[in-house]
Amino acid sequence: MENKDFIKHNCDHYEGSRLNHLNNRKYGDIEVDVCIVGAGAAGSLLAYELGKAGMKVVVIEAGPFWNPQTDFASDELSMKNLAWNDTRLVSGKDPISMGHNNSGRGVGGGTVHFTGVFFRFHESDFKVRTLDGVAEDWPINYNDLKPYYDKVENQIKVSGPREFPWGPFRGPYPYPEREPISANAEVFREGCEALGIKSTVAPLAILSAPFDGRPPCINRGFCNQGCLPNAKFSALIHYVPKAIKHGVEILSDCMVTRVLTNPTGGSVTGVEFVHDGRNYRQMAKVVILSNFVVETPRLLLNSATSSHSQGLANSSGLVGKYIMPHSGHDMYAKFQNEIRLYKGTPVLAVSQDFYETDRTRGFVRGYTFNAHGSRPVEMAMGLANAGIWGKQLRQVMMDFNFYARITLVGEVLPIVNNSVTLSEEKDEYGLPRALVTFSYSDNDNKLIAHGVAKANEILKAAGGEPAFVVPDTAHLMGGCRMGNDPQTSVVNSFCQSHDIPNLYICSASVFVTSGGANPTETVMAIASRTADHLINRMNKGRLGKSDEVKGRTMEKVTR
Amino acid sequence: MSWDESVITHYPNYNILNLADEWDSYTKEIVLKRLGPFSAPEYFSEWETSTLKAIVKNIVFDNRDNIIDWIVFHLDSKMTSEIGENQRKIGIPPEDVLVREGISVIDRIARSKFAKSFTDLEEDEQFKIISSLQLGQLPPIREWSRIPQKDLFSKFLLEIVAAYYSHPEVWSEIGYGGPAYPRGYVRTEYGLTDPWEARGDGK
Ligand SMILES: Cc1cc2nc3c(=O)[nH]c(=O)nc-3n(C[C@H](O)[C@H](O)[C@H](O)COP(=O)(O)OP(=O)(O)OC[C@H]3O[C@@H](n4cnc5c(N)ncnc54)[C@H](O)[C@@H]3O)c2cc1C
Ligand code: SF4
Repeated sequence: MENKDFIKHNCDHYEGSRLNHLNNRKYGDIEVDVCIVGAGAAGSLLAYELGKAGMKVVVIEAGPFWNPQTDFASDELSMKNLAWNDTRLVSGKDPISMGHNNSGRGVGGGTVHFTGVFFRFHESDFKVRTLDGVAEDWPINYNDLKPYYDKVENQIKVSGPREFPWGPFRGPYPYPEREPISANAEVFREGCEALGIKSTVAPLAILSAPFDGRPPCINRGFCNQGCLPNAKFSALIHYVPKAIKHGVEILSDCMVTRVLTNPTGGSVTGVEFVHDGRNYRQMAKVVILSNFVVETPRLLLNSATSSHSQGLANSSGLVGKYIMPHSGHDMYAKFQNEIRLYKGTPVLAVSQDFYETDRTRGFVRGYTFNAHGSRPVEMAMGLANAGIWGKQLRQVMMDFNFYARITLVGEVLPIVNNSVTLSEEKDEYGLPRALVTFSYSDNDNKLIAHGVAKANEILKAAGGEPAFVVPDTAHLMGGCRMGNDPQTSVVNSFCQSHDIPNLYICSASVFVTSGGANPTETVMAIASRTADHLINRMNKGRLGKSDEVKGRTMEKVTR
Repeated sequence: MSWDESVITHYPNYNILNLADEWDSYTKEIVLKRLGPFSAPEYFSEWETSTLKAIVKNIVFDNRDNIIDWIVFHLDSKMTSEIGENQRKIGIPPEDVLVREGISVIDRIARSKFAKSFTDLEEDEQFKIISSLQLGQLPPIREWSRIPQKDLFSKFLLEIVAAYYSHPEVWSEIGYGGPAYPRGYVRTEYGLTDPWEARGDGK
């Protein structure tokens, strides 16, 4: 098989056309209904739903249009190129490691190299202020998202247990749970059982049986390097091809550098983007920014005009504020016999027994445990990050096959100073680079300490000898949070910006709190709900128009 | 470095390269390139390259030239690549500057402390310098205000470790199954292995 890829050099994709230039754009100078920035989890789902509803949609994506068969390799080092590798400046007491760790780049966004662990949030996640007196409530509750969680799980055939022991949704999932599970998942479940902790096989956006021309997982373990057989869901292989069939145009390798406004600043008119050093425009009735937690604030701040001198959609001053990763500490224990962390889908067993607030623990909120496999580069770099190198690292890694690992997905409370701002330094487009500032709060640190101790108990109960704790983070959320009050939030519950009615922000950046679980199902449920809202507005002839939207959001408008 | 005495593989008979024909061709091409030969460094000068090699050997506790050459090649390509560095702490210079100035400061420390170049030091002297760098305890000189010791150490460490654990010879030693497409794994449960996987001594 020859592996010369040509598709990724194409930058304009619509039904019947795959072009390596922008001279025959489907819409070009035509104003479309919706222009979506970023073809990730949210952007691709929106494109599919809106295209299916008959809207004229263009998606503009900074990275390439990957071809799994020719662009993905079973190799950790070379597949770091799936990440958003552009330099971000970082600061704070606990600077976040960016790139492969949390941001994707290219059609499919973060879903191309995500692990596929697929959780709903719990009811309590949407009302942390009411229940725990900290953070903020969301303007929606679990029931607002429930139909969309159902819809998304069905669209992509999530596999999972018949009975899920935690939260409002108790199963069954559309597809049966994965079977067999890996040794690492087995010892995790044994440890849990010995301690009376509930565990299950993980709900996964990974096929356990054929679907849509795609095969079930073959357990090769490289989910974070892009799935070669297409067993794992990604927006690249699921929503994007379907969106194209419904008439959507995807422009890849096109970096949006500015959101354009009309002279009064009352509405947005489209976006400016760069391809191969040249500037282009796409005009649109509605612009949706789905370009994730760091780049959306950067784009809004860089799009400042005289009437929006602090940046677009930023009258609250909260664009870029309240960003949250999950605490993602990895606990390693050594076993007498081989575990072989490299085998199988990385996460095959989980526990949410510590998810809800329990005041006796001395902190609020909680976390999920994922039994989490690893390949050598990830483990060795983790240990290196924890200060292990030289002879010790070599000795430990010789026993690579004898380690098991549990990863924490810990809720991080929102703090205004944890933020994305603009730095002094410029990137290749002449735009200020993002400065990402992060420090854990006291509650976060107590939660981590609890999670580390519990994970070590589980590993010990399974017969392991707890050996290393590697501090880490995972995922990113917030930065343009939703809310009913325009003074304390950036968008309303339908992801429409409070300041500019035809500007929407729809991605992980609208999260109000982080929850204690992997976030992407919630990102997609929110996007699905926003799609319904936009289709509704279109049917009423009110797309992108300024007026009250029904329900709770009206309270904010008439406030 | 007598690494061979203190670091012992469980899998002396396993050679992952025997499996290379089972890998998809793109993966195979990427992995086999790590065996060399490598073009001469473009970014690093000759003396920078030899100093870097000595640093690398300390960090990975290994002195096999073929593996060290791959790591240096990887670092050299990284320095000239247009791909960003994901994150950089505010106030720290870009990685190509950090690494280049870092190499030269480490050599200067060697000369002032032992009156020899870093490459001419005994292994334990080299190790002393690198481990003091990790702790930020090298003699206070002006350069450290621009090139903080711990940040320099961690830049070296992470890039070097990522390359080292991407070398197939190292994969063989640790018993890693390696690339597994198209065949995947059939026996993933505790205690089971597919017939082609690494088997420990006496099994
Ligand atoms: C290693 C890893 C493992 C993960 N594992 C899981 C998991 O198991 N479960 C889970 O729920 N979540 C997981 N996640 C998180 C998941 O990937 C994200 O939550 C999800 O992708 C966020 O979706 P999004 O639509 O908000 O943004 P993204 O999917 O990140 O999409 C944003 C897109 O916007 C593009 N873009 C950015 N700026 C511009 C611009 N200016 N112009 C044009 N395009 C632009 C980017 O290139 C990108 O394609 C993981 C993430 C990583 C990195
Ligand atoms: S483990 Fe399964 S889902 Fe993950 S990359 Fe491999 S085949 Fe795809």
